[in-house]
Amino acid sequence: MNAPFYKYGLFGDDVSLVVAFIIGIGFGFFLERGGFGNGRKLAAQFYFNDLTVFKVMFTAIITAMIGIYYLSVIGWMDLSLVYLNPTYIVPQTIGGLLLGFGFVIGGYCPGTSCVSAATGKIDGMVYLLGIVFGIFIFGEIFPLVSNFYNSTPMGQITLSQLFNIPYGILVFAVVLMAIGGFAASEWAEKKLGNKIVGPEL
Amino acid sequence: MNNPFSKLSMNKKLALIAFILGLVAVFAGNPYRGNSVTIDTKDLALIVDKTVDHVSPEELADWIIQGKVDFKLLDLRAEKEFNEYHIPVAELVPLAELNEHPLLRNEKVVLYSEGGIHSAQAWMLLRAKGYKAVYMLFGGLEEWTDKILFPKIPQNATQEQLATFKKMKEVSKFFGGSPQTDTGKQEVASTKPMPKLEMPSGTSAPTAGKKKKKEGC
Repeated sequence: MNAPFYKYGLFGDDVSLVVAFIIGIGFGFFLERGGFGNGRKLAAQFYFNDLTVFKVMFTAIITAMIGIYYLSVIGWMDLSLVYLNPTYIVPQTIGGLLLGFGFVIGGYCPGTSCVSAATGKIDGMVYLLGIVFGIFIFGEIFPLVSNFYNSTPMGQITLSQLFNIPYGILVFAVVLMAIGGFAASEWAEKKLGNKIVGPEL
Repeated sequence: MNNPFSKLSMNKKLALIAFILGLVAVFAGNPYRGNSVTIDTKDLALIVDKTVDHVSPEELADWIIQGKVDFKLLDLRAEKEFNEYHIPVAELVPLAELNEHPLLRNEKVVLYSEGGIHSAQAWMLLRAKGYKAVYMLFGGLEEWTDKILFPKIPQNATQEQLATFKKMKEVSKFFGGSPQTDTGKQEVASTKPMPKLEMPSGTSAPTAGKKKKKEGC
């Protein structure tokens, strides 16, 4: 049996929605258990008070990366069938900055706002409404920005292809970055205090 | 338990494991399989031997008439030829671009080219890459032209053959062809203009009276 299961026809469209639902529920559950349903905790990372988000996300990245890398190397998975988002470097940089501003100001990213809204937090629900409103506005003005949206295309490119370094070395480099990041964030949390500013929501 | 590993905190243990796996990755090679594959030659030979890798023009015509959408029909010829004529519902995928064409591993794929050689080669490539449900149109577009677009009534046809031909006349009309009731003149059929494409593409002018040349495919 080979992965990705969907592309190898282990299940069809209908079942894939069920699988996505189960994974989504699992994702939400663990975000909530990690405390990511709290906007203050999330925003605290930008003040270096609490870098849980950074640590959790980087842990997820290197876990998935190492897993996918080794599964592909031993031949249990066909990496070429895994969908890669095409890169449009300038619009995506601007989009990333916009998302970052929204994250600092509102205290959530799209996924965590759903978690927060699901646990009954009012700010999470307002944030979610904002997301829907934003999607609507974007859809309405899309003809005006579509040229920019499709500018600077680089195709489905990976860092390894961009810098022309072997995948294995890149895997090691990202692991080193993560371990360095974990050490630095532990240090920052000790230095700047593991405190959440303002009253608990 | 006196080894140094057990004295580490959980976080440090995990970090150490990640570090070791990352370090090994440097020497473990490329995760992408690239374009090289391994094939089971005996397995493929058996499939070829049983001729279960074919779809006859009649079967394909039937599928299209019934409006089946559970298969992809790929035209492997050049763009120019595709624009002149192609089987309805076909997608243009020149052989060299087949590798990049997005297909699901379990998707039913029917390949055709002018004769049958290119589609047979493409069949091999796709099977080797692990696509399970790949078929080729038997005889390619040439067979399609002879059997579906311009079917001929056999000389001294039996009753059974006459009945088949009657059915084929309808099929032929569906695809815009013209059945050849005149038995003797073989040449007429091959110089018939191909049916006009129903697609709204600007280049779909019928090729008037062009004699089909036999190429490798």
